[in-house]
Amino acid sequence: MKDLARLALDTAAARGAGYADVRAIEFTREDVQVKNGEVGGLDLSESAGLGVRVLVDGAWGFAATDELTRQGVERCAAQAVAVGRASASLSHEQVRLAAEPAHRSVWASECAIDPFGVPLERKLDLLFRIDAEIRSVKGVKNAESFLSFQRKHQFFLSTEGSDIEQTLTRSGGGFTSTAVSADDVQRRSYPQAEGYYQTLGYEVVEATPYVENARRVAEESVALLSAAQCPSGEQDLILEGSQLALQIHESVGHPTELDRVLGMEANYAGTSFLTLDKRNKLAFGSKIVNLVADATLPHGLATFGYDDDGVEAQRWHIVRDGLFAGYLTSRELAHRTGESRSRGCVRSDGWHHIPMIRMVNLSLMPGSGTLEELLSDTDRAIFMETNRSWSIDQLRYNFQFKTELAWEIRKGKRIRLLKNPTYQGITTQFWNSCDFICGPEEWKPWGVVNCGKGQPGQVAEITHGAAPARFRGVRVGVGYDE
Amino acid sequence: MNRDDAKALLDQALAAARGEDIEVFLGGGTESLTRFANNEITQNVAERRYLLSARVVRGKRTGRATGNDLTPAGIDRLVQRASSAARLQPEIADLLPLPGPQQYRPVDALDPETESLGADARALEVGRAVERSRAAGLEGAGIYEVRAGTIGDYGEIGPLAIANSSGLFAYHTGTSAAFRVSALDGTASGWAGHESHRARDIDGAALSARAVEKATRSREPKSWAPGRYTVVLEPAAVADFLQDMSWISFGALLVQEGRSFLSGKMGEKVMGENITLRDDPYHPLHRGSPFDAEGMPTRPTTIIERGVARSAVYDRQTAAKEGRESTGHGLPVPNTYGPLARHLVLEGGEESVEDLIRRVDHGLLVTRVWYTNVVDPKTVTLTGMTRDGLFAIEKGKVTHAVRNFRFNQSVIQLLSQVEAMGRVERSGGVVCPGLLVHDFHMSSGTEF
Repeated sequence: MKDLARLALDTAAARGAGYADVRAIEFTREDVQVKNGEVGGLDLSESAGLGVRVLVDGAWGFAATDELTRQGVERCAAQAVAVGRASASLSHEQVRLAAEPAHRSVWASECAIDPFGVPLERKLDLLFRIDAEIRSVKGVKNAESFLSFQRKHQFFLSTEGSDIEQTLTRSGGGFTSTAVSADDVQRRSYPQAEGYYQTLGYEVVEATPYVENARRVAEESVALLSAAQCPSGEQDLILEGSQLALQIHESVGHPTELDRVLGMEANYAGTSFLTLDKRNKLAFGSKIVNLVADATLPHGLATFGYDDDGVEAQRWHIVRDGLFAGYLTSRELAHRTGESRSRGCVRSDGWHHIPMIRMVNLSLMPGSGTLEELLSDTDRAIFMETNRSWSIDQLRYNFQFKTELAWEIRKGKRIRLLKNPTYQGITTQFWNSCDFICGPEEWKPWGVVNCGKGQPGQVAEITHGAAPARFRGVRVGVGYDE
Repeated sequence: MNRDDAKALLDQALAAARGEDIEVFLGGGTESLTRFANNEITQNVAERRYLLSARVVRGKRTGRATGNDLTPAGIDRLVQRASSAARLQPEIADLLPLPGPQQYRPVDALDPETESLGADARALEVGRAVERSRAAGLEGAGIYEVRAGTIGDYGEIGPLAIANSSGLFAYHTGTSAAFRVSALDGTASGWAGHESHRARDIDGAALSARAVEKATRSREPKSWAPGRYTVVLEPAAVADFLQDMSWISFGALLVQEGRSFLSGKMGEKVMGENITLRDDPYHPLHRGSPFDAEGMPTRPTTIIERGVARSAVYDRQTAAKEGRESTGHGLPVPNTYGPLARHLVLEGGEESVEDLIRRVDHGLLVTRVWYTNVVDPKTVTLTGMTRDGLFAIEKGKVTHAVRNFRFNQSVIQLLSQVEAMGRVERSGGVVCPGLLVHDFHMSSGTEF
C-alpha cells in the first residue's frame, strides 16, 4: 500500500501538483446485531483504496480509487490533477497552507484486546444474554442489541515530506428496548442512544455492564407507556451527560467549524452565528462554562496522532470562562483567524472521501459536586436523560431536542417519571443560563457516532465529555403543547 | 461496470462458494462532485468505488461478508469469510431459502453523456451559476454532482447486480445529475435545485437566478409571532416531510411491530381524500432500480389511495409473515430494519406554485425546510426549521420576507389539510408537488 501511495504522490507531482498528499487506507469493520432472540445482522467488511489530494495553481483537486494497481493509481493521481486544474479555472484566491513540520511517525491507538481476534461466538453469546434479559420484561416489543468494531490502518504521505502511519481501533455497542401501545412508541437505550464507543479494543465491551442493566432499562421502556406527559412551559432543566454531549455537539461543535463560519458549507449544513468578529468578545455561556477541544483525549473517538492534513493532535479552549475563544481549523483556513498553525481538525471518513474540517473531541469541563448534590440544590426542575431526537437551525441558534425519559424533580427528589420530554432554546441564551456543572466524579466521555457533514456526505465519530449540568428557565414540552 | 463484466464477477463469486447456497451483489460506480462557495470552487472530487457483498446460507443460518478486493483471490477470501460466519451462527427460525430467477421490467436510466461528464464541464456550469450571484452582489454556494452506478443508494452503496446459486441474476445501472445552489447576503439566503438522470436537464444559470431572486427578497425579514398559518410548501419542503414519514411508517416490519401510524389502519381513511401516495421506481422522474437487495422485482405499490391506507411495502420475510408476495423493497438480509419505500410519488395537480400563492389570503411561502427530525412516530410529528426563503403571502401575493421559524407539525395532519397541490417535481429523491396547507404549526422563532 505504501509503495502505491508513493507512486500516486510522485505521479501527482510530475503532473503539475504544487502540493499533494495521499492517504492509503485499509479499513476493517465488524457489525453484529441481535433482535428478539435472533441474529439481526452480521457483516464483516473490508475496504482498501487510496485518495489523492492536490493543489494545482492553488486550487484543490481530489480523486480516489480502489484499483490498487500501478495503472489504476497513476490514473487516479492524474485525475486528481485534472480536477484541480478545473477548480483553478474558477477560484480567485490561491490556497495557502499554514506551515506544519514534516512528520515521520508511526502512531497507534491503545488496544489491549484485539476485537477482531475475539471469537464471534463470544460476541453473540453476550448479545443473546442481553436480549434474554430485555425480553424477560413483560410488555417489551423489540429487544435490539449490537456490537461494532472498526480498524483503520492508514499511510499519509505528502510532497512536504510527511510520512505518517496510523492505526486506529474503536470498539463498543449498546442495546435498546422498545415498548409499543396503540398510540405510543417508547424506547430506552443503554449506555446511550446509538451505543457507546471508545478508541480502544474489546476491553470497552468487557468493562460495560450491559447484562446487569438490561432488565432495568427494559422496565423503564414499558413504564414510559403509562408515564405522565412531560409538562409544557418554562422550567429549570437538568441534563444527564450523554444528552449534554449531543447539546455540545450541535450547539458548540458545529458552529465553531471554521469552514462553516467562512461560508463553505452554506448550501448544505449552513453557516454559523459565531462569525470571526465574535472571538474573544462574545459571552457564549455563563462563567462556569469551559469547553475544550482535544484530539489527545485518551480513548476519544476523535483522538489521533495526526489529522488528515498531517498536523499533530492538539488541545485548546473553544470557550474559556464563558467567553468564546477559538475555532476548529485546518491548514487551509487557519490564517483567517490570525493563527499561524492549524489546530489539526481535518479528517475524512475513508480513502474515498476528501478530508475536511471535522470536530475533534470537544468536552464540557467538570465543575464540582455530585449529581445527588445537584438534585439536592434544585427545588423544581425536569431532569432529562438519553437523546431521542435533535434539530438545529442552519446558523446554530434555535435547537430542539427530545430525550427518552425525564424525571420531575421537586425539592431535590425524583417524584415522577415523564414521557416524551422535549426542550427548545437559543444557543447563547441556553449556555448563559447554566448555573451548575457536576464534578469530575460524574464526568464521562460520551460519544456521537453519526455526525454527518459535507457533500458527498461523510460520517464522523467524536467524543464529548460531560457531567450532568443545570440550565435555568428553559422551554420544555415543545411539540406536545397543542 | 457493464452487465457482462458484472455477471462475470458474480459468477466467479458463485463458483467460489463450491456448492454452498450463496447470494452475492456488486455495487458501486463513480461519483464526481464540484462544490462551490463564496462564488468560487472550494472542493472538487471524483471517486471510483465498487464493493462485493456475499451472503452464504446454510439451512437456517446465514452470514455476510463485504469487501472491495475484486481479484480472484479477494473474491475467494470474501466468500470463505461469509461461509465461516454462516457456520458460527445460531439458526434464524424464519430465514427463507434463496429465491429463484425473477423477471424484471427494464428501466432506461443510463445517459452516456452524463456518465462521461468531466470536471471541466462541471466547472463551466458552476461558472454560469456563479456569474448570476456575483452580478447581483451575492455569494453563490452549491454543488454540481454527477453519478453513474449505485454510490449513494441505500445511504451508502446499493446493488448494481445481484446473483444467487438458485439462478437469479439482475442488473441495473443509471446516471444521475444534481445541481443545488444557494445565494447569500449575510444571513439572507435563497435556494434552488434540480435533479435528473440527465446532466443536460441541468441549467445552473437559471437555478442560480432563482436563488438570487429569493435571497434578494429575503433581506430585512419581519418577525411574525409563532402560531398556526396557512402555508404554501414548495416541493423541496414537501419532499423532506415525505422522506421522513417513509423512514418511520411505510415498511411492513414497522407496521407489523405496531410502530407505524399505519398499524391496524389498513383500509381506513387516514388523511385527506386528495392524497394518493405510492412507491414507484418506474416513474419517469425516478428511473430507479427495478429490483431490491434480495433480487426481487420492485412493484409499484400504492400506500395511500385517496386518503385511505392501502398497503405497506414488503420484503420477502415480512411478506411471508402475512402469506403474501414481496413488493421488492428489501434491504440486504439479515437486517433489523425491514423493507423501505425509496421511490415515493405523491400525486399532484396542474397548478404552479404561483397559482397556489394566488389562492392564499394571509399566509407563508416556505422554500424549503432543514434538519427535520421525528418528535413523535405514531403521529408522524416532525420538528425542523424553515430555510432559504420564508415569505409573507398577502391577498395572493408574496409581500416581504419573514424571519425563519421552527415548526412542530404532524405530517398526517398536514396531509389532511391540503387545499390544493401543484405539479410534481423530483426533489431530494422524492417526486411530489408543492402543497397549499392550512394550520401549519410554526412553534418558535430564531434570530434571522
